[in-house]
Amino acid sequence: MEGDGNEIDAERYEEDESVTDILRDRFRLSTISIAETQAKKHGMQISEPIIACISELAFKYTAHRNEHVASTLRSFYDDLKAKEPQSERKRKKASKNKDKATTSAVQFPDL
Amino acid sequence: MEDETFDTDLIHAIFKHIWTKRYLERERNGGNDALDSEQVGAGTSKKNRPTSANAHALKLSCELLRVFIAEAVGRAATIAEAEGVSKIEATHLERILPQLLLDF
Repeated sequence: MEGDGNEIDAERYEEDESVTDILRDRFRLSTISIAETQAKKHGMQISEPIIACISELAFKYTAHRNEHVASTLRSFYDDLKAKEPQSERKRKKASKNKDKATTSAVQFPDL
Repeated sequence: MEDETFDTDLIHAIFKHIWTKRYLERERNGGNDALDSEQVGAGTSKKNRPTSANAHALKLSCELLRVFIAEAVGRAATIAEAEGVSKIEATHLERILPQLLLDF
């Protein structure tokens, strides 16, 4: 059983690596054209290892930045979702009280 | 002439790949706990909704990456120019990297 799990994991890892390689290569091609255009604008030449280096950096930056933005958005979403049912309940309660007795104090939901 | 930039489909594919990887990692590490904490208060229909990004967000991401690369080359070119050489080398990139990474 455990062996099967490891095999599946290894397969998934290999597949994952090959997809990463393909994406990285495509990304590098775009980076090369952007970097060369930019270097030409400045009237400069740029050596191949430097482009590879910038490409790798930008690729990792994409992953890092994306992860950061995604986690920020996720926690924002969690906050909103955690607040939502409570405020809805309060709103319902407030409207019920309003219907029952107009003389009693009106409850406002916390903002 | 319009500047060269990244293909939005490529950036989307990279994002999706990272999201899937992270999701699988979380699932493996924390079982269903990670998923549950993420979906606090969410309706059951949204439980397995995959992360997505709209077209504007992708376009913006492409632009951000293009500017990142353009800035790296531009700043390195300025250093190379100041040294009186016409080819950008590793030392030029080394000198601009700290500030570049602080700026982005």
